[in-house]
Amino acid sequence: MVNVIDYHPGTSLLHRLNPVAKLALATGTIVAIFLGDTYAVLVGMIALTLALAASAGVLPQMLRLLRLLLPIALLMLVIQVLLVHAGTPVLGPVTDEGLITGGKACLRLLGVALPLVLILMVTKLNDLANACVEHLHIPYRYAFTFTTALRFVPVFSQEMDAIMEAQTARGVEYDSKNPITRLRLMLPLCIPLLISSVGKADATALAAEQRGFYLRARGSSFKRYPFAARDIAAIAVAVALIAAGILF
Amino acid sequence: MTAPDEESRPPIIELDAVNFSYAADAAPALDAVSLRIAAGEFLGVIGPSGAGKTTLACAMSGAIPHHFRGALYGSVTVDGMDTCEVSLTDISRVVGSVLQDIDTQMVASVVEDEMLFGLENFGVPHDQIDGRLVEALETVGIADLRDREIATLSGGQKQKVAIAAILALKPRVLVMDEPTAALDPESSRLVFETLRAVNETAGVTVVVIEQKVALLSRYCSRIAVMGEGRIQIEGTPHEVFARATDLRRLGVDSPRTVRISNSLVKRGLSPAGTDPSLDVAEAEGLIRSLVPAGAADEMPASDPAPSPHVPAARAHAVGAEPVVELTGVGFSYGPGAAAVRDLDVTVYPGELVGIVGQNGAGKTTLTKLLCGLLRPSEGAVRIAGMDTADLPTSKIAAHVATLFQNPDRQICKDTVLDEVAFGLELTGTDAATARERARAVVERFGLPLDESPFVLSRGQRQMVALASVVVMEPEVVLLDEPTSGLDYRECMTVMETVREMAERGSAVIMVCHDMEVVSDFAERIVVMADGRILARGDAAAIFADEGLMHAASVEAPQVVRLAHRLAESVSPAFSIGVTEVADIVRITEELIHRG
Repeated sequence: MVNVIDYHPGTSLLHRLNPVAKLALATGTIVAIFLGDTYAVLVGMIALTLALAASAGVLPQMLRLLRLLLPIALLMLVIQVLLVHAGTPVLGPVTDEGLITGGKACLRLLGVALPLVLILMVTKLNDLANACVEHLHIPYRYAFTFTTALRFVPVFSQEMDAIMEAQTARGVEYDSKNPITRLRLMLPLCIPLLISSVGKADATALAAEQRGFYLRARGSSFKRYPFAARDIAAIAVAVALIAAGILF
Repeated sequence: MTAPDEESRPPIIELDAVNFSYAADAAPALDAVSLRIAAGEFLGVIGPSGAGKTTLACAMSGAIPHHFRGALYGSVTVDGMDTCEVSLTDISRVVGSVLQDIDTQMVASVVEDEMLFGLENFGVPHDQIDGRLVEALETVGIADLRDREIATLSGGQKQKVAIAAILALKPRVLVMDEPTAALDPESSRLVFETLRAVNETAGVTVVVIEQKVALLSRYCSRIAVMGEGRIQIEGTPHEVFARATDLRRLGVDSPRTVRISNSLVKRGLSPAGTDPSLDVAEAEGLIRSLVPAGAADEMPASDPAPSPHVPAARAHAVGAEPVVELTGVGFSYGPGAAAVRDLDVTVYPGELVGIVGQNGAGKTTLTKLLCGLLRPSEGAVRIAGMDTADLPTSKIAAHVATLFQNPDRQICKDTVLDEVAFGLELTGTDAATARERARAVVERFGLPLDESPFVLSRGQRQMVALASVVVMEPEVVLLDEPTSGLDYRECMTVMETVREMAERGSAVIMVCHDMEVVSDFAERIVVMADGRILARGDAAAIFADEGLMHAASVEAPQVVRLAHRLAESVSPAFSIGVTEVADIVRITEELIHRG
């Protein structure tokens, strides 16, 4: 899961787009997914996302993520099917309407997650933060909080792995086949992880302040993120996607 | 750079009778500390755990009083500003600091962005930014890392990026808190080389907190020794290490060469007031000047008896079954990734084996293969007669106990007693027996039974982790960097405990970067490089093999290197069986008396 959202360097068109334009593209896709009510739109948006991922050379990573999300999406389908009783029964409590709404909920989940992750795969976090501050006038401290939170995900996950290894070596049965047993054993570890997380977050705040965090203004960034023709085009595509979502 | 010269220059940082406690009812972390740091100095701060070193660094960098709350008395002046009256940001323009945990220091994912962060924030004109960035990277010697992802860098490289990012801001002082704690000896030396370059070419005053005495003595122009919140000793490295007895009382180690020269003075072989020898070259010079020319030419009349201090071989050799057996073991993290190959290791009960080699040589992989966290893809690992391929890790735990580098990853219970008993309960001992055995061990270590381990100091937490290993009475003990982050006294407690376990029949396997510790405690050594075993054998013989040490990028202990040089330049007598300080002193004494 961790290396899934890592940045993958490249020079594809998607890589070179302005981070804000990429964000617009992702937002367009997501809005279209929520507004659209036909399978054609939902599948089309996911296909578009995967096609973009392929153009940026990160398709294998995307498919790996898809594999991780699939169980959650299927769980969503099952819940929907069990909850919705309207429509014609197909088999037992399962109705055709349940299957249809469930299927859509399942596709929506994938359709929302994938574009966001794709953006993170092809954009450096600092560029994303700086461009948002420059063009969207988001206060830097919010952008910093967001990027730091994302940056900490792999740090914490490594810490968790190290804790689990240490506990396994002591004889805690994380290698047990029973997932409930594993979960029950993992809960106590939240405490050491929380303690080390709070310590790390505090140290990060101190280090940032000691490097002039509070002096930073909108014009501070050395790198500029001007809009090029391709960025305008990307934003136009995003608007078109939303329109497609409304129409279909 | 001489001492009187420094006196005359105005101090860049001045602490005047500073008292600080983190809470009103807590003992003071700093107790009447007065310290002047002259511009251009390279000051080292050393002291046992809990002496107030990190607090001192925080007071200098402005983190106290601006980030950490507490009761502060006295005054801290940075470049003429009272740190209580200006903001942390203003102090940071003068004092750049690098924290202990380097991962929390980083704000970006790419080196260039990390460098830009401070430059942008402090409003450096954009036409100067690139020049400043390149200059800082070049001073630190990492111009080639500019576009690298920080996550792909080694610990030593990350440390240099952190230094460069601060250096680009052109601070007048650089404060570093244990920059080499997580590094191997070679990377540690390179970080200190970098600090020296920063100090000499960029003219930045450097204050560094450090536990590695040999490095401090070689690079610093002045050393301050802290103990119980006070500055106990202060002076040039020669002045400070001349007081080895006081240092030892405070719980601070001295380089082995210092022990040799001090010991020569104590025995009247060298005149009182002789400067302590800070490194191998100085010690060689001293002994060469003491031994008369005539004595040096002849071999000693009788072969010197082996030193009585050398760890005696234990009674394992005769007929004992090996408790650890690796045959042709290979493991790979994936195609193109790091791997180990052809590992053959046999360890008998009661043996203490050291595994040495550079970072990335495969030492950690080897320990993980031993405790079952990894399974070999080739060959077999047998522990106490059982093949680990058939056993779940949690079953191996009953036979192999591991002491990890970071105790916080191991500790998960609410009280010390529960924590120590936990391992026994996990491996099937009933609760009452487990607690009874745990209680005995906890009491032997003098730890508080019902305290929460999380409120203890770092050193004490390591003792809790050690107690959890001891209580298991395991057949095999694995130690992964057992001494890192510990002060001298804690380090000795850990190692003496481990030695006792070996004497009671446990096989001890330790991965350790500190060659002095390895040579003091290990009888046998396995040398690793690039995932293979380069050599194995008797500790003294392995360390004496210069070509081998070079091939593995391992620096032999000071005593061994000194003996080697003395054998060439003074007398061949030094070439036989020299493993510790006392051997060098004894041979020198014999040569002097004969001459």
